[in-house]
Amino acid sequence: MLHGLKLLLPALIPSWRFFDTIAPSPRIEYALLHDPNAVAAWQEFRRRPARLSFAQMLLRMVWNPRWNESLYLVSCAERLMENPSAHSELEIIERLKAENADASAPWLQFRLVFVSRQGEGTRKDITFTSPVYRREAA
Amino acid sequence: MSLDYALRCTEMLLAFALLQQSAEHLYVPGERRLFLPRTALSLLLLAGVAAPWVCLALLIHALFILQRFDGPYNGGSDRMGLLILSCLCMGHFMPSLRAREAAFGYLALQVLLSYFIAGWVKISNPEWRTGRASRDILLFSAYPASESLRAGAGWPRSVCAASWAVMLFELGLPVALVSSQALVIGLALAASFHFVNACLFGLNRFFWFWLAAYPSLLWLQQRLGAAL
Repeated sequence: MLHGLKLLLPALIPSWRFFDTIAPSPRIEYALLHDPNAVAAWQEFRRRPARLSFAQMLLRMVWNPRWNESLYLVSCAERLMENPSAHSELEIIERLKAENADASAPWLQFRLVFVSRQGEGTRKDITFTSPVYRREAA
Repeated sequence: MSLDYALRCTEMLLAFALLQQSAEHLYVPGERRLFLPRTALSLLLLAGVAAPWVCLALLIHALFILQRFDGPYNGGSDRMGLLILSCLCMGHFMPSLRAREAAFGYLALQVLLSYFIAGWVKISNPEWRTGRASRDILLFSAYPASESLRAGAGWPRSVCAASWAVMLFELGLPVALVSSQALVIGLALAASFHFVNACLFGLNRFFWFWLAAYPSLLWLQQRLGAAL
């Protein structure tokens, strides 16, 4: 409860500094492994759709759970870099496990890639690589 | 607009925003138990049943949600929801009318600041003034809701014009307090701004939570007008 009260304080005296600087932006990449020592074939978690129709955008006004969860995972990735905690790592890995519940590979690993501007293009920096997790309890 | 009427309008809009948010969590099996109480309390708030106590219960329950996610789930929109809930509680439970008005006025002040400060930090930054920051949001941030929106980064003049429109709007919104008509127009523009953000960046929760805070501004404008 005390921790909850501490987390409430920034809401009572907010800073409202939305987008004051455009910081490097995290992407979560994961790999499904058949062997914990195998070389990882990384793929981006929840790639955004190529295009959205206006009707889809309207629907998302009232029903947008996956996108909001993805934004939460962006927060977890940022927290993991700023103030590392088991909570953020666990939140990411639990959602990766849930999303890959039907995969045959028994092992899972993720990494954080921060994208930033370089000239007129972008660059990617790997800032965190997780341990290899077993997808299910043995 | 009386204080009680403004509080009631805020409660109804907040109840809708909380229901929308809770529905998105109820579909996640691991989060269902946490959000069922919020859903039930929001329905009671919408119906106006024991509203002061329901607001207090929602605020206490929100502390458990904060603890579960180790902070807000969706940053600014969650924080606005918490601020509204806190101000509603104080607006109901403060002992004198003056104190109740001060609590609800604080919400209105924070809504104004949410625009003004956001505009001020942008206009103070050369990257926002040149449109570079907006292009970066489109180019590499996590926010564009589809890949096709990233192409907008290739339209520097349009993006720069849009950046200036946003900055001037955010800085200018407090001026709308001069009259009730100006404020209604200002808030309609503000709601449109959040609607566009929801469409382009998927920030749907911002739309509903900021909308829930607007009655406080409409009340404050009339309260100030009556006092002057």
